[in-house]
Amino acid sequence: MKRTFKIALAGNPNCGKTTIFNILTGTHQHVGNYSGVTVERKTGICRMGDIRIEIIDLPGIYGLSSASAEEKVAFAELINDEIDLILNVIDAGNPQRNLYLTTQLAELNIPMVLVFNMIDDARRLGLTFNIPILERYFSAPIVEAVGATGEGIDELKRLLLKVLGSAEPKRPKPIDYGEIAMPVIRELSAEIAKTDFPLLKRLPPRYFAIKLLENDDAVREIPQLKPFLPTVDKWRKGILKRCGVSGETYMTDCRYGMISGACREAIKLKDPSRHQFSEDIDKVVTNRYLGLPIFFILMFLVFFLTFQCSIPLMDLIGLGFSALADLINHLWPAGHLEYVRSLITEGIIGGVGGVLVFLPNILILFLAIAFLEGTGYMSRVAFVMDGFMHKFGLHGKSFIPMLLGFGCTVPAIMATRTIESEKDRLTTILVLPLMSCGARLPIYSLFIPAFFAPRYQAVMMWLIYFIGVVLALCCAGLLKSTLFRSDDEVFVMELPPYRMPTVRSLLIYMMERSLMYLKKAGTFILAASIIMFLFNTLPEKKEYSKDYTVLTEQVRGDASLSEEQKQKQIAQFKAERESERLQYSIAGRIGRAMTVVFQPIGFDWKVCSALIGAIAGKELFVSQLGILNSVGDSETDTATLQEKLREQYTPLQAFCIMLFCLITMPCVATMAVVRRETNSWWLMIAQILGLTLLAYCLTLIVYQIGSHLF
Amino acid sequence: MNWTGEPITVERISISSSLEDYLEAIAEIIETQGHAHTKEIAEKLNVKMPSVTNALQALSSRGLIRYQSHSPVFLTASGAETAAVIRHRHSVLKNFFQSILKLEEKEANDAACKVEHIIGEKVLSRFVLLSEAIANRADCAGLRDYLQQTMPQICPETDDDLISLDKLKDGQCGVVVRVAENLRGIKKFADLGLVSGTLLEMEGSAPFGDLLRIRVMGSSLSLRSKDASHIWVRLAE
Repeated sequence: MKRTFKIALAGNPNCGKTTIFNILTGTHQHVGNYSGVTVERKTGICRMGDIRIEIIDLPGIYGLSSASAEEKVAFAELINDEIDLILNVIDAGNPQRNLYLTTQLAELNIPMVLVFNMIDDARRLGLTFNIPILERYFSAPIVEAVGATGEGIDELKRLLLKVLGSAEPKRPKPIDYGEIAMPVIRELSAEIAKTDFPLLKRLPPRYFAIKLLENDDAVREIPQLKPFLPTVDKWRKGILKRCGVSGETYMTDCRYGMISGACREAIKLKDPSRHQFSEDIDKVVTNRYLGLPIFFILMFLVFFLTFQCSIPLMDLIGLGFSALADLINHLWPAGHLEYVRSLITEGIIGGVGGVLVFLPNILILFLAIAFLEGTGYMSRVAFVMDGFMHKFGLHGKSFIPMLLGFGCTVPAIMATRTIESEKDRLTTILVLPLMSCGARLPIYSLFIPAFFAPRYQAVMMWLIYFIGVVLALCCAGLLKSTLFRSDDEVFVMELPPYRMPTVRSLLIYMMERSLMYLKKAGTFILAASIIMFLFNTLPEKKEYSKDYTVLTEQVRGDASLSEEQKQKQIAQFKAERESERLQYSIAGRIGRAMTVVFQPIGFDWKVCSALIGAIAGKELFVSQLGILNSVGDSETDTATLQEKLREQYTPLQAFCIMLFCLITMPCVATMAVVRRETNSWWLMIAQILGLTLLAYCLTLIVYQIGSHLF
Repeated sequence: MNWTGEPITVERISISSSLEDYLEAIAEIIETQGHAHTKEIAEKLNVKMPSVTNALQALSSRGLIRYQSHSPVFLTASGAETAAVIRHRHSVLKNFFQSILKLEEKEANDAACKVEHIIGEKVLSRFVLLSEAIANRADCAGLRDYLQQTMPQICPETDDDLISLDKLKDGQCGVVVRVAENLRGIKKFADLGLVSGTLLEMEGSAPFGDLLRIRVMGSSLSLRSKDASHIWVRLAE
């Protein structure tokens, strides 16, 4: 007897397939309640005694017609690997629709076992199943199970062993397509059996005969089957005349007819008045008038949790990192490799620490998303917001990532995975940086109070966010009508019943996403921090215009000054020295070179140099600007910095700086995640160039018109 | 009208059914207005001007009409004769559908338009004989009563009784009767259970959007109302 086997796990989306997969293989996976979560190929190993079973988790599909990407993937998997058995998971609460896939899987002539999953929910709905009758209809053994609790799993394992162990396992009996189709199916099968092509080794000729009658494009393309096309088309024309339906509709009707017959005989609904709890929730949540307000309240809650409740934790992490830097400074042998010391404490700990501070944000945000997704609310959001997004060429599913973009662009881009249409997904990713993220907030909170009267401040803030949203939607509309033009795709989405996600699956999801974030901080941010540090410190300036050391000593020795005045004077010298040093550094030089281009939009070399900092992280714009303006510590001396800025810039310039920072190229972390999620360097570069160009042009228009008006 | 039932034998010039329609239209316009212009013909047949011009050239080349651009169209002698035959066929058929099959005038007219091009003179003259016999012979009195009684009761399933899915009101249930074959992604909808015979319930629509939400086989689906308009249902309790 064989010792290793391959099992394919197939079923409709949301039927609890991944739960069954997890419980069989023990690998940790994300279990969502949202169509299309399982997009990657997932395999796991299940050991029973000395038998090793490889289980492949196929994406959730409704049929085998190679119409969608999922169906193509699933079909390729089923025929390319030597699958020993198909484990077909069925949502017992919705047997009719789920068994439709079963009738198609039966055509593949591979042994099959059916799992009626979530049988507890089905019983609660009042459904009772006569398993022996169903087993006879579908000629495959059936197990009743509950994936979430593990009920019925032992029986399933026993059954799997029994089926895999038998020398000649029973194969499912394909269904009868009636007198109209059966003669032609038999005739075609006999003819196809005489031909020879690679797929025929895996699949029975009958499968191809049926697919031909169904007008399946992939099968029609097989060269060896071309000679049969006239016969097939004649039959299809005949059926259209006789029954008024096309071949594919006829076959589908046959399958559903057989299923409804079987269900009528074997499934009894005890208490038809009992209805699902889900419907009650949905009456409110997707209500025409209440739907949107409820959604906005929920989103507000998510953001409140994310940004308010994480403050103590963030402070704690911030303190931890500064303590670490102090510790290193303290322990470092004085005078040895000073440069390396400042690289570690200022460059690495400062840069990476600055990003890791946001980890609590990310954890809470993803926990909230996992919960909303797990309960099934996310598909309701897509449903509620679709009308609005459709006006810009996107559909409802693009809305959630755009909303997350207000928090941080990186998780938002990762959240676009739920969008099935590739073109819609790319469009969403490309415009996402325009949603003003949390890291840009420090820039606005620096400039707005400095340049605008208190009563205009809130309006200005709102205006900046508003400009971002409008630009994002317009760019999406533009991209969808040009580069990513696609025929308005057929949109059918299942709204799964509300279910309570298990704590385990929530934590698994949260951890997966957070680890991704940590990995990013450990690689890209680390590299960017080191580079920025080098830019800010090299080449080292040896000669200064004034001898600050001597000046500091003089102040220290000056008895006429009070202690406070001395400190102030010394800090002033320190900052002046820092400013001079920075002008000399690479960052300063690049900033100066950039003014040639940025003069027309009102930026001086300091702003330009700070923009380089903003590439590593938008919040670095503020700290770099502080350093360049000779303010010792930008965070404690915001007022001083604002005063200095007021002296140098006009409100128009301030607005232009904010506008530019809003639109221009995203931070390094975003670039990295765009590269990975789009799998294209080209798109990443196009995004950087496109956004920068857009930012430049818009700012130029605003600045030039503005400076002529005022 | 010639109701004598004698076969009409006119040497006819064979033309296509669409040209027959043109000739018929020209004759009718001349009869009511005295003259026929290209524009009037286009309006009557609901076609574009260039198509009319093409057809007129074709008719003219067969000697059925006299036609010069920018001047009215005249029927030649053989054209008038052919038109008369076509119009006669039409009225015979229309009369048959109306008086024997008891169809409404518009329905009778439409059916006659479709049939007139495909039947020959032989079949037509037998039709005339049959209608005359049923309408006039004394021994057909019983048959006439019977037809009068039973014909109107035959009411084939037409789309008039059905409503498209997007017109269903919230909470209403319907059984799918027909899914238009030109529905894009018809396979996907079929896979999800939207096939004839399926019971579904309208659950509502999304705020300011064209998304509908229906309950099919125990699960909720949302789809665009544009697509839903291709699915025809009959109201059910």
